[in-house]
Amino acid sequence: MTCPGIEANLLTVAIERDDLGFDAPAPLGHPARLSKPDDHQAGPSIGEAVPDFRLPDAYGREVHLEEARGESRAVVLFYRSAVW
Amino acid sequence: MRDAWPKFEAEGVRLFAISYDDQTVLREFAEKQEIPFPLLSDVDSEVIRSYGLLNDQIKPGDMFLYGIPYPGAFVLGGDGRVVAKFFHDSYKKRDSPELFLDAARGKILVDENTPIAQGGDEDGVELEVALHGGSGTLRQGIRREILVRFRLSDGLHVYGDPVPAGMVPVSIEIDGPDGLVIEPEIRQPTTPLLVEATRTELPVWSGEVDFRIPVFAVGELASEVRPLDQESVQVGVRVRYQACDERVCLLPRDESFELQIPLDVVDVPLLSMHLGHGQREGKFKAMPHALRLMRRKVLPHPIGALKFLLRNIRLELAARRRRS
Repeated sequence: MTCPGIEANLLTVAIERDDLGFDAPAPLGHPARLSKPDDHQAGPSIGEAVPDFRLPDAYGREVHLEEARGESRAVVLFYRSAVW
Repeated sequence: MRDAWPKFEAEGVRLFAISYDDQTVLREFAEKQEIPFPLLSDVDSEVIRSYGLLNDQIKPGDMFLYGIPYPGAFVLGGDGRVVAKFFHDSYKKRDSPELFLDAARGKILVDENTPIAQGGDEDGVELEVALHGGSGTLRQGIRREILVRFRLSDGLHVYGDPVPAGMVPVSIEIDGPDGLVIEPEIRQPTTPLLVEATRTELPVWSGEVDFRIPVFAVGELASEVRPLDQESVQVGVRVRYQACDERVCLLPRDESFELQIPLDVVDVPLLSMHLGHGQREGKFKAMPHALRLMRRKVLPHPIGALKFLLRNIRLELAARRRRS
């Protein structure tokens, strides 16, 4: 389960290889590594409409999904964080 | 996503990228990493919740993690309805942006610069084998697709399963290096072909037909936390098929292709905990933002944070025991 070639010290977090074979800088079982149980699917299903939203962008400008999308196709992407 | 953005613009596909980060970090991240599309700030995770994506295994006291979504993407058609979803069993497993575009477009557009090989014969069968997605490279966890595309002349078809004895259905074998995960092949639906003589129906494909085999690298092949062992890998693709028209069948064919696929060098955000990790550290320094995130998420839950710390120390000690 360990990742060869990685030296850990007190300042670094552990690096380990998980059961899927991925190397990542956190111990196995760390909450940030948990995925949704069962079939991993969450949120609106295929064929459904998604909830509309209004959110500020990085410069504080409000983005309204329905208005910004109009009739265009779109990708709504959820990611964990830009910080870590 | 950044590198694929011109393709989204060319197709007129909008992109909305959402996280629980505040506007300050998103602005700096967008500038340092040169992100050309809008990063939206959902600080209270309200939109994440309204989509039903809140990671409910993380408690409010769990350091700065509470509020993150199960990561993934929805592709919306022009009417705003979901045409495809991309969610996986690990946050490390993600999709090439090109796969989102394929879903939006309903058709696969192969990049010219990607590793590609041609085959087929002179009797009306053209074969193309390519690594599709990204800039034709592999890296840990990011799903690409090995695309096997047939172009069949009018009147020709190839067979799906089942076929009568003596005929050869399409089959594809991938031979990759250790650490390349090969997912089940995705096939287009066949159309039934009525054979008058025997009054049976056979499953066939005709015209342009795509077979897609999702692949991704794991740590053994392309770890993000140590230097890469090699610059590129060779992947073998073996395709067997038999093309027929209504009256005659060509001889079965067995073609082998080799794709030489480069491995990506990955940027890792500069966070002091990650010192010494990563193949290459990015320009973006995350530590001040992590402190702000901690003030926002951790301070309101001192007891929860303490529990989290204890739990984390236990996990860390267990990890060190496993290592030694």
